[in-house]
Amino acid sequence: MAFYDNKHWLLSHIRNSFISSDDTGMCELVMVGEDIPRKLANVNKFDCYPGVDESDDEEDETDVMGQSFDIQSDIDFGIHRQRSNTAQRLEKMDEDRKKTSRIKHIKWEWSSAVLTDEERAGLFERKNFKQNEKNVHIKKNSLLSEQLEKCPNLPQNPFVEYAKYDGNDQIGVPTRKYGIFLTMLEPAERNYPMHVTVLAQAKVQDLIGLICWKHTLEHGQHKLKDSVNHYGLYIAEDDGEVDWDFPCLDPREIVGKFGFNYLALVERQKREDDSKPTEREESQVILSQEPWLKPKSQQQELEDLIRMQGHMIAMEAPLYQSYRVYIINKVRAKAEIHLGVSGEKVEIDPVMQQKVSAKFWNRQKAVSYDMDNIAACDLIDAKANSRSIFRLVYHHSSAASGEQAESLQHHSDLASYKHHDFEAEHRTAEEIVQKINHILELRSSVRRKEYLALRERKSHRKRSFHLGPR
Amino acid sequence: MKFLDAEKQVNALDITPDKQLIAAAGYQHIRMYDLSSSNPNPVINYEGVSKNVTGVGFQEEGKWMYTGGEDCSARIWDLRSRNLQCQRIFQVSAPVNCVCLHPNQAELVVGDQSGVIHLWDLKTDHNEQLMPEAEASIQDIAMDPEGSYMAAVNNRGHCYIWSLMGGVAEEPTKLNPKHKIEAHQRYALKCKFSPDSTLLVTTSADQTARIWKTSDFTLLQELKHEAQRWVWDAAFSADSQYILTASSDGVARLWNVETGAVEREYNGHQKAVTSLAFRDEIVRD
Repeated sequence: MAFYDNKHWLLSHIRNSFISSDDTGMCELVMVGEDIPRKLANVNKFDCYPGVDESDDEEDETDVMGQSFDIQSDIDFGIHRQRSNTAQRLEKMDEDRKKTSRIKHIKWEWSSAVLTDEERAGLFERKNFKQNEKNVHIKKNSLLSEQLEKCPNLPQNPFVEYAKYDGNDQIGVPTRKYGIFLTMLEPAERNYPMHVTVLAQAKVQDLIGLICWKHTLEHGQHKLKDSVNHYGLYIAEDDGEVDWDFPCLDPREIVGKFGFNYLALVERQKREDDSKPTEREESQVILSQEPWLKPKSQQQELEDLIRMQGHMIAMEAPLYQSYRVYIINKVRAKAEIHLGVSGEKVEIDPVMQQKVSAKFWNRQKAVSYDMDNIAACDLIDAKANSRSIFRLVYHHSSAASGEQAESLQHHSDLASYKHHDFEAEHRTAEEIVQKINHILELRSSVRRKEYLALRERKSHRKRSFHLGPR
Repeated sequence: MKFLDAEKQVNALDITPDKQLIAAAGYQHIRMYDLSSSNPNPVINYEGVSKNVTGVGFQEEGKWMYTGGEDCSARIWDLRSRNLQCQRIFQVSAPVNCVCLHPNQAELVVGDQSGVIHLWDLKTDHNEQLMPEAEASIQDIAMDPEGSYMAAVNNRGHCYIWSLMGGVAEEPTKLNPKHKIEAHQRYALKCKFSPDSTLLVTTSADQTARIWKTSDFTLLQELKHEAQRWVWDAAFSADSQYILTASSDGVARLWNVETGAVEREYNGHQKAVTSLAFRDEIVRD
């Protein structure tokens, strides 16, 4: 048995109190290895802890060596320390106590004091209810009727059945919180995630329905497809970037299984075929606003918006952004890559493909081009299936740096410029081309000027050649 | 409109006259929730009742609260908690299913499982009993705001109507049997008069709610919906033009009394909606 007059016990207690009260875990790291002298104390009678001698040999060895009473030392400490069940239970009890302390409890009590007649008459006085009668027959309108008249034909929300999965309205059932990015919204609106709390037992499909329901409440003007089957949930980064490396969450799975913080709601493509680029017409239709259908003021607003958007794109151009596009190599084979564009450089990263066929083709290596070596970027072809091909022209000299550029200028011609062709969905392609051109304009590098001059000269030559014989 | 879920079932709900709190009667307690805040926890917990509390309501000035419970008693709770001087209890021989306050605010009507209706004069403690039908449990009792009718429904789906006399000043209320309606084929659950006293609604386990005219107690409207299950509770809008119902299918519905059409559906409940409270307002234009 240990008592408060036991110096050894007190020492151990202080030691462990240090460890357990230090949230960073540093104390534990320092002190845990430091306890060796005590072992020696027992074995070699080395007087390290005064007062520890044979007198407490009734304590068995493990007890003396014991670190603590409740706390297990863990060397692989991190910021999160494993808490014991007791600690968790205590915390829960504490929480409950706090919760109940905020509630006023009133117990049924029999009042011994007998009411006087006056008191009783005052409390249980008979009201003359007949006087209310007069007002009754005047035609009245209630607040409810008034509210209802304000919106007589509320369209039926097709997602109303999913409202019951909202975790905010439920108490005492496990829920999950997600930040949801809605990729089908206007760019200005989709930057911020919508916070959705869902019951943990709900299916992914129900979560999609709940998102659609909340979305219709918040952005009523943006029409959604009337069924959850048109949508899929993808894993997303906290900045809204969709992680395309993973397939969308299985709609039949239980939400509680997934531990992601951010998800993105994406309109599902017609066919679920990951090897082939599929059309995204559906989302296109919704996003392209039909200006001729809108009244004039709205059209004006829309124009302003588009102009503003242009400014925004120009301003944001040097910010890094990654696109998922196809690179077309010399044998006209396509390989999927990530095209990273920033103010400094353009990066091409191959997308890992598990498919065997990908190995046979010329695998695209990861390359990076300095923005100063990029000469041009243009759309060159728009395909019928809403996809476009664009060309990125770069100067082929990896050694080219700032001071050499001038000397190179003299002997470089069009042959030293090479290009990559990419294929992407029309909208994405346009966005990339626009972005790169904004950056090039900003930088106005030597290479670009040179390339443009060369191209100009070439086209002149061509023209003169054609015109020549006539 | 707002519904707050307690941990166990809720037998009855009522909103305080000042519209600040909603009282939920449950097993062994009455809990009050703050309607204006988003606090999901109760702010006041009334306890000390041994069984289910089946009915709850307030005196019109909010001086006291009345409850009925399966512990065979009706209680008056003083809401001014400093001096619990008007705590009152009225004991009967069977579990109390419903309590209803006369519009004169001084007489409480208590209905019990043995089928007895008790008229309890709160001032004098004088009480009277009547039994409209033997071996049928009284499920709910209602009085119209004008104090001219009292209705009671029982577990056989029958609805009894009395006309009321007196009840003003010192004169005790006299009940005269007036009418009996075979309102439903099955269990009746609730009855309520409209604020303008022209309509009476009865709800039932037969998955309908029925609206009756108080002029001749003929059926005006049957509120039926294919998804609707047991209709547990109902409430009129202040102008008596709309009615809200609560059903076991987890949906609260808003009906147009005149057309019988569903105007709105309120989803969000995981389980059956067994009770509702609604305080509307008259707007004068």
